[in-house]
Amino acid sequence: MIRLENISVEYRLKAERVQALRNVNLEITEGSFDAIMGASGSGKTTLIQLIAGLLTPTAGNVVVSGQNLRELNDRAISEFRNRTIGFVFQFFNLPSYYTALENVALPLVFAGVGESERRARARQLLGEFGLEARMHHKPDQLSGGEAQRVAIARALIGNPKVILADEPTGNLDRETGTHVLELLQRVSRERGVTVLLVTHDEKAATFAQRIILIEKGELA
Amino acid sequence: MIRRRDQIRLCVQKLGLRKKRAAFAVVSVALGVIVVVAVSSLVENLRDLIVRTQFTEDIDQNVVRIFVLDNPYEFFAPRAKKDQAERTKKRYHFLTEAAFAEMRAWPEVAAADSPVTVESVTVTALTNRPTNASRAEGVPLELLRQYVRDPAELVAASNAIPVVLGERNVRLEYRADQKKFTVAATNELAAWVGREVTLIVGDHFAEVSRFTFDDEQREWRPLGEEEILQQRETVLRSLRYRREATIYSTTLALRGRVVGLCPGNRVLIPLPRAQEFARWLNQRHELSRLVASSEPEEIEYGVRGRLTPRAGEFREGIVVVKKGASLEAVAEKVRELGFQATTRGTAFEELVKELDGAVRVVKKIAFGFGAVILGLACGLLWSTTSRLVSDSRMDIGLFRALGATKGDIRRLFLSEAVLLGMLGTLFGMLIGWGVAFHISRWAIAAARAAVADPEQMLVMPDSVFSVNLPFCLLLLAGAAVVSILAGLLPANRAANVDPVKALRRE
Repeated sequence: MIRLENISVEYRLKAERVQALRNVNLEITEGSFDAIMGASGSGKTTLIQLIAGLLTPTAGNVVVSGQNLRELNDRAISEFRNRTIGFVFQFFNLPSYYTALENVALPLVFAGVGESERRARARQLLGEFGLEARMHHKPDQLSGGEAQRVAIARALIGNPKVILADEPTGNLDRETGTHVLELLQRVSRERGVTVLLVTHDEKAATFAQRIILIEKGELA
Repeated sequence: MIRRRDQIRLCVQKLGLRKKRAAFAVVSVALGVIVVVAVSSLVENLRDLIVRTQFTEDIDQNVVRIFVLDNPYEFFAPRAKKDQAERTKKRYHFLTEAAFAEMRAWPEVAAADSPVTVESVTVTALTNRPTNASRAEGVPLELLRQYVRDPAELVAASNAIPVVLGERNVRLEYRADQKKFTVAATNELAAWVGREVTLIVGDHFAEVSRFTFDDEQREWRPLGEEEILQQRETVLRSLRYRREATIYSTTLALRGRVVGLCPGNRVLIPLPRAQEFARWLNQRHELSRLVASSEPEEIEYGVRGRLTPRAGEFREGIVVVKKGASLEAVAEKVRELGFQATTRGTAFEELVKELDGAVRVVKKIAFGFGAVILGLACGLLWSTTSRLVSDSRMDIGLFRALGATKGDIRRLFLSEAVLLGMLGTLFGMLIGWGVAFHISRWAIAAARAAVADPEQMLVMPDSVFSVNLPFCLLLLAGAAVVSILAGLLPANRAANVDPVKALRRE
C-alpha cells in the first residue's frame, strides 16, 4: 500500500545542512493501524508529509497505492491528496469561519462535488460520530474532543485510503484522547482505511497494530 | 478543481474576515469610477445644451465683423503662388479708410466702417438730439427698420438719441453715394450729432419675460399686461440701484436687445441711459487723469508691421451686407485682404470648437483624476489582497493538504481582488449615475430659468444625462483587468506558499 524506498530528506538551516531522514525503507500494508513513535525532531512528521506528497524527498521514492509521488505534477498530486489521503492534525486546523458541517465538507469543495451532495455526506458522517447537534456550530463552540471528531470526519469524507494523524491526542486530555484513538481504531477496522498515527505518547501507540520507531531520522 | 460557485462563496467568506479593509478598497475604487462615470454621462449632452442655449445672436445675420491679426506675418493670401508668398503676405496691416473704401466698393456691401475708441463726453453734448422720427433722416431707414420694424416703435426709437462720444462734437450726415457718414457742413438739427463710436446697446425692458411656464398645465402661456407691468416696475427698481452703482464703478455694462446699429457705428441709446453713460465716462475720465498712464510701447514686426495702430488705423470693423448677397463670400473677400472675418455662422463654429476644446480638457482632467484615484485604488487592492494572503497562510496550507491545487489557490485570491474591483466599479457607476442625474436636473432647471422664450425652450432637452453603455462595459472590463493585475502578485505568492511551513505551529 505505502512503500518508502531509500528515503533521505535533507534541508538547509542557514548555513547548516540538516538530515531529517536517512535511508528510510518502510512498507505499510493496506488497512493497517500503525504508529510512528519518536522524540521531537526525530523525523516523524517529515515522514507523513512525504507520504502525503507535501514534501519531496531529496533521494528515494514514495509509492502510495502504486503511484510514485515523485512522478506526479501539482494537479495530480493535489488530486491524489484529495482522494487518497485524510489528515488529522494536533490542533484540529478547523477554519473558524466555517461551521462543523462546512469544515467536514471542505475536501469535497476541492474535489468539485456539488453543494447538496457535500452537505448530505457531511451530515451523515457527523451523525455517525454523534455530532448531529453540533453540525451548525463554529469550531470555537466545540470541545476539544468534538473538534477532533469533526477533523476525523473531515479526513474521512472523501473516502480516503490513508489517514495520516499527526499527534491527534496531543491537544486533548487523556480520556478524550482515548476516545479519539478508539474512533480511529474503529474507522480503520470498519472501513479498511490505513491509519498512520504519529505520536510520542507510548499509551497512544498501544492502540496501533505496529509501532515504528524513529530516531534521528533513521528507523530503529 | 473548485466549482465557480464555491470559489465565489470562499471569496466572500474570506473577505468577510477583513470587512473594513475590503470596504475601504471598494470605496476607493468607487470614488475613481464616480468621477469618470459622472463626467462621461454628462459632458456630451451638456455641451449640446450649451450650444443650444448659449448661442446668442449678437452678430446680425447680414454683418461681417472684422478683426486684424495680431501678427502681420500670420496672413498668407489664399491661392498665392509659392514664389509670391513673401510679397503677398499682407495687403493691409490695420483697417484703414482705404480698406473700408475697398470694401464699400464691393457690390454686395451696404456699408463698411470702423469702430472708435470711446472717450469722454459731457452731458450737455447729449442734449442736442433729434426730437422725432422725421428728423432721423441721417440714419438709413432700411437699416433702422432692421431693428425697429413697428412704425410705433420707430417713433419710440426717435426718443433715443444717437450716442455722441469722442474728443469733439460733430454733426454727421449720411452720404448714400459713399455709403457712409460724413461730417455735416451745416448745423441743422436734422443732422446726427455724433462721434466715432461703436456700441451695442439696448433697453433693459428687452429682458422682460413675455411668457411664463404653467407648471400645472405643463405649457407656456403669454403674460398678461399687468404681469408685464409688474416686471417693468421691477426692472426700473433694479435700474435705480444700478444707476447709483454705475456712478461709482469703473465699468459699465450696457445690456439688452439691440435697437440700433448703423453703418458708421452710430448707436441709438435712450436718453436716460446715454446720460448715465456720460456720467460714467466723465468719472472714468477724471479717474484716468488721477492715474497717469504711459503710452503703450509700439511693437514692431520687422519692416512690415506694427502691433499698435496709429491715427486712422483700426483693429476692428463692421461690414453690412446687402439683402440677398452671400455673407460668406464677403467674409472670404475680407479674409483675402488679410483680416479675420467673423459671421454669425463662423462665430457659431468657433463657439462649438471652443466648447469641444473645453469638453476635451474637462474629459482629460476628469479621466486623469479618475485614473489617479484608480491607481491608488489599484495599490489598495494589491495591499488588501496581500494582507489577505498573509492572514490566510494557515488556511492556504490546510487547503493544499486537503487537495487544492496551486491554480485553485491562485484563482481564489485573484477572485477576491476582482470581486473587490468589480464591486467598487459597480457601486461607483451607480453613484456616478445618481450624481450625473442630479447635476442634469440642476443644469436643465438653471437653463430653463435663464430662458424666457418658448421658442428657445423648444430646442432644450429634458435631460443632459445619458448612460454611455459601451463606455460602462469598457470600464467594467478595465476594472476587471486592473484588479487582476493588482491581485496577480499576491495570488502567485499565495499559490507558492509551502503547505508544510504553513501548517507548522511553533
